[in-house]
Amino acid sequence: MLEMFSAGFMQRAWLAGLIVAVICPLIGSFLVLRRQSMIGDGLGHIAFAGVAGGALLGAQPVLSAALATVLGALVIEKVRSRLDTFSEMVLAIFFYSGIGLAVIFSSINRMGGFNLSSILFGSLMTISASDLWVVAVLGLFACAFTVMFYRPLQYITFDETSARVAGLPAGKLNVWLAVLTALTVALSMRIVGLLLVSAMMVIPVACALQSAYSFAGTIIGGIVYGIITVTVGLTVSYYADLAPGGTIVLTGTVLFILSCLRQSFAKEEAAPPVACCHHHEVKEHEKG
Amino acid sequence: MKTVIEIDKLGYSYGEGWILNDLSLQIEKGDFVAVIGPNGAGKSTLLRLLAGILKPIQGSIAIFGQDREHFTAWDKIGYVPQNPARQHRAFPISVREVVSLGRLSGGSMFQHYSREDKAAVDDIMERFSLKELAHRKIGELSGGQQQRVYLARAMVRSPELLLLDEPATGVDPDAKEELYTMLGEINRKQGVTIVMVSHDLELAAKVCKNALCLDHNICFWGGVQQALVHRHKHGYFYR
Repeated sequence: MLEMFSAGFMQRAWLAGLIVAVICPLIGSFLVLRRQSMIGDGLGHIAFAGVAGGALLGAQPVLSAALATVLGALVIEKVRSRLDTFSEMVLAIFFYSGIGLAVIFSSINRMGGFNLSSILFGSLMTISASDLWVVAVLGLFACAFTVMFYRPLQYITFDETSARVAGLPAGKLNVWLAVLTALTVALSMRIVGLLLVSAMMVIPVACALQSAYSFAGTIIGGIVYGIITVTVGLTVSYYADLAPGGTIVLTGTVLFILSCLRQSFAKEEAAPPVACCHHHEVKEHEKG
Repeated sequence: MKTVIEIDKLGYSYGEGWILNDLSLQIEKGDFVAVIGPNGAGKSTLLRLLAGILKPIQGSIAIFGQDREHFTAWDKIGYVPQNPARQHRAFPISVREVVSLGRLSGGSMFQHYSREDKAAVDDIMERFSLKELAHRKIGELSGGQQQRVYLARAMVRSPELLLLDEPATGVDPDAKEELYTMLGEINRKQGVTIVMVSHDLELAAKVCKNALCLDHNICFWGGVQQALVHRHKHGYFYR
């Protein structure tokens, strides 16, 4: 295990992975509990359009992706808050339009300028020190945001209507959360890939949800599952010589299955022995 | 008697026809009003307008003398939404966390619990017999217990006005009676003005003082006992 960390690129990959393992479940907990699990995936489509558009205009891909996802997230938030019914249908159309734009920009742009594979699956093993700094700053920002606004965020996540009646600035908090989600997708994309960012926002939280009894427990559990997922996934990737994005996501899936099984065993153990009592009652009745 | 709610020529529509039309009334301090009427008569719409979730299309609402659209006395209102238990069944949040949320109010994004908040939560948990359930997940409780938690959340800021949207939905008959008794005590002992949307006029009549029957406008507005007689005579009240 230690041999794996002797190489500088592996240290950077692990550190970047750990930061993403903290940021994604932190933001993802609010998204999953608000039934917006697919928003990371959808913003990924828009980020893809941003990268392709940026390449066409000769702009920095990370910057153009960040701009596109933040704008996209703000429009999505506007649609979500205005539409009671079919808001997810409008969002789906929005996301598909993002991928449509990306394809058009890519077909117009014959000069290249971006690597499709590295956008989708990231390039964990080729992370530079500056990439690491970008995610570290994002991580600090995400943690500060969550700590500062934790209580009002918890309220709007649990019961937005009652939070609004209590006078909480639900609109502002929703916009901030949308912007932070967009930045997480855009800035982590280059490191772990679009597919992995959205997976890391959902899978560790889904694992934690199986046994969490409190809101804080879900967030902390999500981060712990995220760290385990990245560490095990990277180790498997290093020794089996497989793509790290894939091993990390599949490790998360295995952990999710294990957490579901553990929870169903725990429920079975906790359940009262109904069949046994019934059998006993029948026997007593037969005796009588 | 001090007026708590003043509604003047209120009108609201969801797009096709008026769900509430030209509605005017005043609710005084210490009143306990049951809002009744057939499905689609505008009961929940009225409550959502009073809570500030919806904005009037016509007319105006003033609460504690402040226009509802520019209302800032958040601490004075407690709100229990319609059947919150159903939507939160799998949500990972403990009973204490839910009750504590009731201490948050006002327009600031920076809000944390003070010692005073924690003491208020301890006190309300004790008064509502929730101490033993403090660390249980809200979704694991029965319908009656869950409504007690939501009522405690609404009462933890000691509001002067309580708005309840069908609080007894999904609650078994015994727990329903217990819930109504608890509301009666809150109204009598603490002087909290209560406006409650209800489907059960007989049960509401045990604790409410006045009844407001809606069918897009006011069908009846007066004492709850008279409302029972009125329904018996004219038969147009919904049950």
